[in-house]
Amino acid sequence: MTQTVQAPPGAATVPPRVRRGRVKQPRVRTGVNARSNVMAYAMLAPIVLLLTIFVVWPVIYAIYLSFYNWSFYTPPIPVGWRNYVNVLGDRTFIQSVGRGLLFAVIVVPVQLIIGFLFASLVKSVSGKLATVLKVSIYIPTIISGVIASIVFVLIYNYQGGILNAFVGLFGIEKQAWLGNAETALGALTVPAIWLGLGIGTLIMLAGMVDIPPSYYEAADLDGATWFQKTFYITIPLMRNIFLYLLIAGFTAAVQQFELPLVMTDGGPLERTLLPNLYIFQHFRNDTYVGYSIAAAILLMIVLGSISAGIFRVLNSEKAVDG
Amino acid sequence: MAAQTPVTAPAISAIGQAPRSSGRSEGGLKGVLIGAGKAVMATVIVLLALFPLAWMLIAGFKSRSEVVETPFQFFPDVWRVENYQLILQDPEFIRSMSVTFAGAIMFTVLSLAVNSLGAYAFARLEFAFKNVLWVYVITTMFIPGMAILLTSFVVVTRLRMLDTLAVLVLPGAASAAHLFFMRQYYLNVPLAMEEAATLDGASKWEIYRHIFLPMSKPVFVVVGMTSFLAFWNSYVWPIMTITSRDLYQIQQYLATFRSERAAELGMLMAGSTLAALPVLILFLIFQRHIIGGIKIAGLK
Repeated sequence: MTQTVQAPPGAATVPPRVRRGRVKQPRVRTGVNARSNVMAYAMLAPIVLLLTIFVVWPVIYAIYLSFYNWSFYTPPIPVGWRNYVNVLGDRTFIQSVGRGLLFAVIVVPVQLIIGFLFASLVKSVSGKLATVLKVSIYIPTIISGVIASIVFVLIYNYQGGILNAFVGLFGIEKQAWLGNAETALGALTVPAIWLGLGIGTLIMLAGMVDIPPSYYEAADLDGATWFQKTFYITIPLMRNIFLYLLIAGFTAAVQQFELPLVMTDGGPLERTLLPNLYIFQHFRNDTYVGYSIAAAILLMIVLGSISAGIFRVLNSEKAVDG
Repeated sequence: MAAQTPVTAPAISAIGQAPRSSGRSEGGLKGVLIGAGKAVMATVIVLLALFPLAWMLIAGFKSRSEVVETPFQFFPDVWRVENYQLILQDPEFIRSMSVTFAGAIMFTVLSLAVNSLGAYAFARLEFAFKNVLWVYVITTMFIPGMAILLTSFVVVTRLRMLDTLAVLVLPGAASAAHLFFMRQYYLNVPLAMEEAATLDGASKWEIYRHIFLPMSKPVFVVVGMTSFLAFWNSYVWPIMTITSRDLYQIQQYLATFRSERAAELGMLMAGSTLAALPVLILFLIFQRHIIGGIKIAGLK
């Protein structure tokens, strides 16, 4: 997808209709243009209409309602910034955001490291086996959060769960992994890592394959080891991919809420109450929606700023051209 | 005359087929050790990736108490098919699978139609306010789901869409990300292909219909699979908008089954296995395109 193969009509030096104008009358040319407008709008109408109703309207509506005290059956009463002030003063919400960040700090690096190692492995094996490995690692990605939750709850089960049987081999006592306040959040990270591993691995693999083999051949001539090649060639050349995966993985992890919703419902002692789950529960229990919406908007701002921060910090180092 | 370099549409081939540098050339003990290390690592990761699903499948063959029996046993003493039979005889399970499948098909078709039309218009047509509309559409790509989840619910309530199939199918069908992905693909289609058709007096619609649509198979597979998967796996939106059991989505059915019939673990595992099967089969059929599609997903 280099610039040269793209043929955007707008960027072309001569717009298409002028080309046609060489063989047609100027009067006809404007007619074609008007007709082409109608055709374009007809083709764009469905997507613009759907996005307006189901994305743009909700966004504007969310911003509007966050300044109002409103339930489904009453006229909205303007309250200024009070919803936001209430959210910021709500310790449960602040703690849930901190918990979401902690969750992401565990999930994302593990995903990146395992994904990187596995992508290196896949790259180094031959075609047929590589396909088997790629397909296997991608399969968890297509499994739903609900099914993953159901399976992992039983894996963590106190009685007869696989994990307890496994740690029992090392003489460790049985744990209620999801019921114990100390281990619950950690236990949730495993299915989150499992579900997200495949896509990250394959994106990294795609990036690795794009690195010209001549770089490695030159390094081989100098007798470089695998570690040297990885740290001096592969990782620096893949920094944009890491950056993308880091930000995408980070926002996804902080916003995770299907897993805690199905596996623990936020418990025990709110230890798995991630921010989106908190907002969602609040929305379901409180008919005055302004507060929940303000919390959602605040979370969006926090996530956006942190992502921008990660981007700035990592991108400020001089980028290597790949 | 804009001289366009004739290029072929991006070949969606499997990733990971690049020429390998070393590895095989290293002979002797070191080579054997590296090979063994790779084999061990590959086995471990594949096992970790597939273990939970294998266990789910096998637990479906266990009796109710065997699933969480102490001491733990991976395989059942006796392989029973009752769980699979019973869940397949549950009319609610069959209905949920059918309703979700039908909804997913509708959603996928709508998503492909709406997004590819828009993608074609942005890739090939010139019209007034093109840039304004482009920014308008693309901006929606950066809005996180939670920011609009709550008010989307308010909107569909006002539109009286609650508890209908439309509330599941319509809201997510238009996707700026899918449009963007398809537009990238259409931009790479050589102009020469449509110039002949234009000279013959074909309309833009005819060009889309007879030149672009037939060429869209690779992107349609990727976007279609993503849409199908998103619909099939969705849980939060259905539990917010669907209350009648006739329309229960499959994930909703599983979660409800789990809370209402908590003791039937074998059946739950069998049901989960069967519920994962359609997307698993679709993925295995199209895996080459999907895994290859990641490469053209516009990371660069």
